[in-house]
Amino acid sequence: MTALLSMEGITGGYGDADILQDVTLSVEKDEIVVIVGPNGAGKSTAMKSVFGLLTIRGGKLLFDGDDITGWAPNRIVQRGICYVPQVDNIFREMSIHENLEMGGFLKKGDLSAAYDRVYTLFPDLKERRKTLAGSLSGGQRQMVAMGRALMLDPKLLLLDEPTAGLSPKYMEQIFQICRDVRDTGVAILLVEQHAKQALAFADRGYVLAAGRNRHEGTGADLLADREVAEMFLGG
Amino acid sequence: MDLLELINFYVIPGIVLGSIYALGAVGITLIFAILRYAHLAHGDLATLGAFIALASVTALGVSPYIALPIAVIATACVAVGIDKVFYEHLRERPKIVTVMASLGIALMIRAVVQVVWGVDTETYSRGIVRPENYFGLRIRDREVYTVLAMILLVGGLQLFLTRSKWGKAMRAMSDNPNLALLSGIDNKKVVMLTWVIAGGLCAASGFFLGLNTELKALMGWQMLLPMFAAAILGGVGRVEGAVLGGLVVGIAEELSVLVIPSEYKAAMAFAILLFMLLVRPTGLLKGKVL
Repeated sequence: MTALLSMEGITGGYGDADILQDVTLSVEKDEIVVIVGPNGAGKSTAMKSVFGLLTIRGGKLLFDGDDITGWAPNRIVQRGICYVPQVDNIFREMSIHENLEMGGFLKKGDLSAAYDRVYTLFPDLKERRKTLAGSLSGGQRQMVAMGRALMLDPKLLLLDEPTAGLSPKYMEQIFQICRDVRDTGVAILLVEQHAKQALAFADRGYVLAAGRNRHEGTGADLLADREVAEMFLGG
Repeated sequence: MDLLELINFYVIPGIVLGSIYALGAVGITLIFAILRYAHLAHGDLATLGAFIALASVTALGVSPYIALPIAVIATACVAVGIDKVFYEHLRERPKIVTVMASLGIALMIRAVVQVVWGVDTETYSRGIVRPENYFGLRIRDREVYTVLAMILLVGGLQLFLTRSKWGKAMRAMSDNPNLALLSGIDNKKVVMLTWVIAGGLCAASGFFLGLNTELKALMGWQMLLPMFAAAILGGVGRVEGAVLGGLVVGIAEELSVLVIPSEYKAAMAFAILLFMLLVRPTGLLKGKVL
């Protein structure tokens, strides 16, 4: 079985500097994959490379049977990958409902099925659909951001540090939502700062360091690995 | 001086002038919200709109009110054209480059108006219009139409921005341009739409200034400062703020004649602008950008 997404030996970065060196990773259908690693390891950069946000100088990106290397973000969105940035990931001056509507901007025809799906995943949002997104708490904003990205029915969702700055309670809630999203048939690739918790909940993980692959395996295997524990998880 | 006199000679003309400023200020605020620069050619674009309406009146022999939509459409096209030919190439450069370019565009438009229509003052229709008397309030028909047109145009714009898909896309682009692009919103179409709306409103502003006073090549340029004062007063990026700001500046200018010589009327806008920037730079209704 071929993977939904495979990054094969990606080298690239912003401008002239190569931040990623020969990075390889894959995401299967119905799988949550997490990228962890120390600060400056190129975790977010690796994710952004999938979304066409940096210059790729080597390697290939394959998604669902297509070579998407070098595609522009708007084409990638239409192909079925949606991306939630770490910061500034909502329209503050617009209501929750309008945020979702903008998420579904490219969809032709009726959006009601997409609204239903998102509101079923996030019942809290449905109650407050008229509220301005900028007035919500951090955890609720993250839900709006994810909801916006899910409006186009993506096959793969990219989340850049979805739990950054959230309380443990909200972190657990976001992880639970990720599982629910996966169970609706959407694969998830996420970058996490909270490595321990993330590896415990993800199906598989990759450890990056200095822009290169270091370790990979199931979350449990990585957590059990002495070297990984010492290097990145604070023992 | 009694109250009626104050209303007839200062407040009513102030509201009319304020409505004219509001039409321009809304465009300035939209351009700032979406493209993030101050558009200094806005006044001269209004002049062009006013003269296009004049050309339609003289060439087709129609009433000025029929010439208005023609001027609105033509000016909207000119605005889109100016953006495509000039501003679009400067998009990636620092914004100050575009601001300076728009000053150049302002001079170019004014030169075109002077070459085509000359430097004399013109009017849409000759003769003096006597105001109607409504319970002591002296109001001319054209003044009613000016205020009504402003309310209809801005109300329509507000509906468009809050109800339609592309109107919401404009707000999204103003709110968070990166996320709008990630959502697949077409930046180029939003920019074009912004120019269509700003250009059209600009023409309406120039037209109503010409209708209530007279047309001359410098009419729009002289409106630029009050229009910017109105946009900043109301809070940049806020359509309803631009209307409020326009009315305040217009009424303040007319009332200022009571205390300062009328030649200094135009300084009122400048004083308001300075005061706002010192005291509350985000505007009366808190601006979204800046």
